[in-house]
Amino acid sequence: MATVREKGYSHWDGRLGERRFPCWPITRTGVQLAFKKKTFRFFFAMAYLAPFAALGGLYVSERLEDFKALVKSNKALLSIDPKYFLGFMTNWSALFGLTLVLVFAAAGLIADDLKHNSLQLYFSRPLRKRDYLAGKMAVIAFFVLALTALPYLILVVFKLIFAGNLKFLAAYPWLPLSIIGWSLLLTVFFAFYILLLSASSRSSRYVSILIFMTYLFSDALAGILWGIFNKNPFMWLFSLRANLQQAGAFLFGQKLPLAIPAGWSFAVLAGICVLSAAVLSRKIRGVEVIK
Amino acid sequence: MSIEVKDLSFRYGKIQALDGVTVRLGEGAVGLLGPNGAGKSTLLRILLGFLVPERGEGRILDYDIRRDQAMIRRSVGYMPESDCFVAGMDAVTFTAYFGELSGMPRQEAMKRAHEVLFYVGLGEARYRLLDTYSAGMKQRLKLAQALVHDPKILFLDEPTSNLDPTGRAEVLELIRDISTHKSIQVILSSHILDDIESLCETVVILKQGRIAAEGRMDDLRAIQYNLYELRLRGEGGGFRKDLEAMGCRVEEMEDGLVKVYAAEASDPMDLFRAAARTGVQVRYFKKSQTSLEDLFAGVVGVD
Repeated sequence: MATVREKGYSHWDGRLGERRFPCWPITRTGVQLAFKKKTFRFFFAMAYLAPFAALGGLYVSERLEDFKALVKSNKALLSIDPKYFLGFMTNWSALFGLTLVLVFAAAGLIADDLKHNSLQLYFSRPLRKRDYLAGKMAVIAFFVLALTALPYLILVVFKLIFAGNLKFLAAYPWLPLSIIGWSLLLTVFFAFYILLLSASSRSSRYVSILIFMTYLFSDALAGILWGIFNKNPFMWLFSLRANLQQAGAFLFGQKLPLAIPAGWSFAVLAGICVLSAAVLSRKIRGVEVIK
Repeated sequence: MSIEVKDLSFRYGKIQALDGVTVRLGEGAVGLLGPNGAGKSTLLRILLGFLVPERGEGRILDYDIRRDQAMIRRSVGYMPESDCFVAGMDAVTFTAYFGELSGMPRQEAMKRAHEVLFYVGLGEARYRLLDTYSAGMKQRLKLAQALVHDPKILFLDEPTSNLDPTGRAEVLELIRDISTHKSIQVILSSHILDDIESLCETVVILKQGRIAAEGRMDDLRAIQYNLYELRLRGEGGGFRKDLEAMGCRVEEMEDGLVKVYAAEASDPMDLFRAAARTGVQVRYFKKSQTSLEDLFAGVVGVD
C-alpha cells in the first residue's frame, strides 16, 4: 500500500497562548466569509447609496447659492439638523437595506455550523459558549456599525469641513452620541434577532426567509391590529420596524412617530434580546443532547 | 496515568449512559469498545467537557475534568464521528482557523496547517473548497484539525466510519504512525473490532454504561477463556450438549469448524473424553488464539 504521507509529522515547538479575545478569529473569519459572496458584496455596496445621498445633501446645503435652481422649492429639506440624520438613518428603506445586508452576511452564522456539525469542533477548543456567541455577534456588529455609525459620523465631519467652522457641532453637540447610540441599539437588536433565527434551523436559506418574514410580517400584523383596535397606537408595538423607529426618534431627540412613550418600544426590543439570549443559551451546545 | 476517571456517571433524561465508570489509561493507543449505546461517545464527551457528569471525578494529564476544561482542550485533539466542516473554506484556512482557536498565533497556525495537511495526505487538495471534498478527504481533514495544535492526547471517535477499504487502511496507517512514532496518546472509540485490534495495546470494553472488561489486549485474551478449534466426524449433537453441560460455549462455523470456548481452568482432555462418550471422532484439534471479536462476544454477550 502506498504511503499517504508526503511529509512527516513534527511536533510544534511553540506555546499555546490564552487570547484576550478568544472570539476574534471567529469574527474575522465570519467577516471574510461574507465578503466572499458576490450577492453580499453587491447589497453591501448598495447600502452606501443612502449615506452618499446624504453627503450630497450636506454639500448642497453649504453651497445653496451655487445650487439655487436645484433646490428652489426643496430648501426646507436641506436644513441640516438631527432630523436630517434621523431621516436617513431610520427610514423604512434604510432599515430594510440593513436587514437585507445582514441576511446575506449573517443568516448562516449559526445555521451553517449546525448543518455541518461544526459546533463540536469549536467547543473542543478552549472556547466557552459566550466566546462563540460573542464572535458571531461581533460579525453582525461589524456590518451594522459599518453601515450606520461609521458613514454618518464621517458625514458629521464632512458637514464641519464643508461649513469651515464648528457651529453645527456647537448647535448639536449630542448628535454624534445620538448616532453612536442608535447604531449600538441596532447592533444589539440585530445581533440577538439574527442569531436567534440563525440558531433555529440548519438551513441558512430558511433562516434568510425567516428573517424577512418576521420583519415584514410583524409590520403587517401591527397594521392589521391597529385597524382592528380603533387605531390604538400600542398595536404598533408588534412591529419591529415601528419600535426601532420610535427608539431612533427618542435617541435623536425628535418628535416620536407613535403617540406612546418610547420606553414601551425599548422594552419590546429588550424583551426580544432577552428571549434570544435564553434560546441561544439552550440551543448552542458542543453536542446534541437527546432527552 | 494520563487519564483517570472515578465513579463517572451520566444520564440523558431517563437513560443511564454511564454508570460508575472507573478507569485508568496509560500511554499508547487505547481502544474504547462497545456496542452502540454502550457509552463510548458519552465518555469521550465528558472527558472533553461537552457534558457535565452527574457524579464522579476525573483527571486528564493531571487537569480536573470539571475545573480545568480550557487546559484539557488545549492539550487534546478531538476527531468527531460525524462529518464536520465550515462551509466556504478551503482546507488550509479551516485547519489554521481551528489552530488559532486552540491558542496558536495566526501565522504559526497557518504554517502548521500546511504541515499537517501534507501529513494526512491532503497536501495537493489543501486549497480546494471543503464543500467539494469526498468522505475520505473529510475524514483526513478532521484528523488534520485535531492534530494542528500538536496535542498530547488524541480522541478519535469512529475514525474509519464511512470509508472504503483503501481509505480505511490509509487512515489506520496514519493513526498507527501517530500512536507509535509521534508520542501522542490515542484514545480510539470504535465498534469496528478489527480497527481496535490492529491499533491498540489496551482496550476498555463498555457495556450498558459500565466497564465490562479492561486491560492489555494480550492479558484480556488470556484470562477470559480458552478457545479450541475442532473438526469432527460423526453426529455432533450429543457432543455439543455434553460440552454445554460442562459450561462451554460451542459455535459451529459454515465450513464445519467447531469453536469451543472453555473456561480458563478447563482441561483440553475433557473435550476428548466428551467426544469418546458421545461417539464422535476428533479429526482436527487446535488451541486457538482468541481474537478481539471472540473476547468482545464473550464479554458483551453478542455473537
